[in-house]
Amino acid sequence: MKTLIPLAMAVVVLALIPLWVESPYALHIFILLFIGIALGESWNVVGGFAGQYSVGHSAWYGIGAYGAFILLQKINLAPWFGVWVAVALSVLAALAVGFITFRLRGPYFVLASIAVAEIIRLLALNTKDLTNGAEGILSPDLPPLKLGGAVITDWNSKIPYFYMGLAMALFCIAVNFAVKRSKLGYYLQAIREDQDAAHSLGIPPTLSKNAALAISAACTALVGSFAAFYVGFIEPQQVFGIDVSIQMVLTAIIGGIGTVAGPVLGAVVLVLISEGLRTTIAQAHLLVYGILVIVVILVMPDGFLGFISQRLRRKAAVE
Amino acid sequence: MSALLEVRSVSKFFGGVKANQDVSFSVESGIVLGLIGPNGAGKTTLFNCITGFYPPSRGDVFFEGKRINGLSPDQVCKLGMVRTWQKVRPLAKLTVLDNAVVGALCRTSSVAEAKKIALEQLRVVGLEKRAPALAGGLPIGERKKLELARVLATRPRMILLDEVMGGLNARESEEIIDLILAVKKRGLTQVVIEHDMKAIVRTCDRIVVLNSGEKLAEGSPQQIVNDPRVMTAYLGDSGGAKA
Repeated sequence: MKTLIPLAMAVVVLALIPLWVESPYALHIFILLFIGIALGESWNVVGGFAGQYSVGHSAWYGIGAYGAFILLQKINLAPWFGVWVAVALSVLAALAVGFITFRLRGPYFVLASIAVAEIIRLLALNTKDLTNGAEGILSPDLPPLKLGGAVITDWNSKIPYFYMGLAMALFCIAVNFAVKRSKLGYYLQAIREDQDAAHSLGIPPTLSKNAALAISAACTALVGSFAAFYVGFIEPQQVFGIDVSIQMVLTAIIGGIGTVAGPVLGAVVLVLISEGLRTTIAQAHLLVYGILVIVVILVMPDGFLGFISQRLRRKAAVE
Repeated sequence: MSALLEVRSVSKFFGGVKANQDVSFSVESGIVLGLIGPNGAGKTTLFNCITGFYPPSRGDVFFEGKRINGLSPDQVCKLGMVRTWQKVRPLAKLTVLDNAVVGALCRTSSVAEAKKIALEQLRVVGLEKRAPALAGGLPIGERKKLELARVLATRPRMILLDEVMGGLNARESEEIIDLILAVKKRGLTQVVIEHDMKAIVRTCDRIVVLNSGEKLAEGSPQQIVNDPRVMTAYLGDSGGAKA
């Protein structure tokens, strides 16, 4: 309850923003923030709780994006239906991959996850009939979203994307909450801390990790298709490239890995930095990311969240 | 009394190394069996073979009459047999309570119920006051007790303790001995790997001695303490037998 009330207040304030903020750029920043939060939280399920540092989550992101795009383009299936097909595809692919790669531990798992994402990127690049290869796909016009007979939105402004993004971020946060407090959450954290000890206490490691990956991939695919429609264009490097995966990992690491609030904080930091620097030093913002990661790992190994809560505890102890 | 655990000519080879060779013994329900032997005798390997961490190269393991070699450790735990670790393995970033909760979830899907079971077991080992502390911050004596609470929380029929007294001072060892005896009173069967002979004699009903991977002797604590072959295994041949 203590966390629910401020959270509900924050949500209400955020929901009111489009009423008094008209600048499309400001709304754009918020949408990027929501996408960042949702992606960080999605990754956190498998990377944070289970401690499996996947650097290949762009695979699930891209399957979400391509799945929904292709379904709309080829068979005119509206994305709010198509996305569920894409999510299901992504989960199936993730389970197949997890079944193989979760036998590996530590750095070997990380390398395998990168390799899998690369394989899927190359597949997307070379199945030209389906994906249009390196030229990518320009989003077809979105059909208006109708409920009953009433048109809710025709997607002509950023406002519907703002609310969709907000809902998605909240959904991913809620998923993290639920997982963390569940039996699965305990299993995953036990595996993260010591897989053999967890195994001896009755926890099936591979099954638990696959369950985490399925949840994580589903959320990632959902966000991936949303982000793709927001941007309006996809090509293999953009959605399957390692940049997407690294962004997800960084969001969690910088904010505070394995916590629910961490990725929110991490997304705020990353979006502000990348937007703040994009206009001044352009591509060099990646350099700043790198430096930031080094600083975070050296100075606050538990991320911004761990750093802040430690400070607060120390202050409370002094008083 | 029927055997709860039966180890039938189990061998474990790592390449050319014979870690266990043709080891057989059985453990009746309710007893404490001591498993002793010099360093490298194959005690921990045998634990690993029994609890599913290694498949035995040869031989069979039966638990409650059911052949269990080939099962994974989590399945073995679900059947009611669980082990502790010689080098303690606390889930460092979880609290003491949550460590025990992880064990308790073996028998229940409700986290709330698991917390109740976990607290009970922390009380049994005397760690209830440490429940909110992070397990990684516990001193060795409390870590050993946490290992015990965690396996007890899985509600086992049988526990295998791998040197739970290793690295403890006299008073802490005394507490663990009391715990083993208290657990025995509750009807739990135990297999105990231990080096401290005094503790072994006080807690065990029967002792199996391993040496170089093979079973050297089996008998009551008195028989084992007076067995010259055991002395030789521990102290070597040259006149040590008199000690």
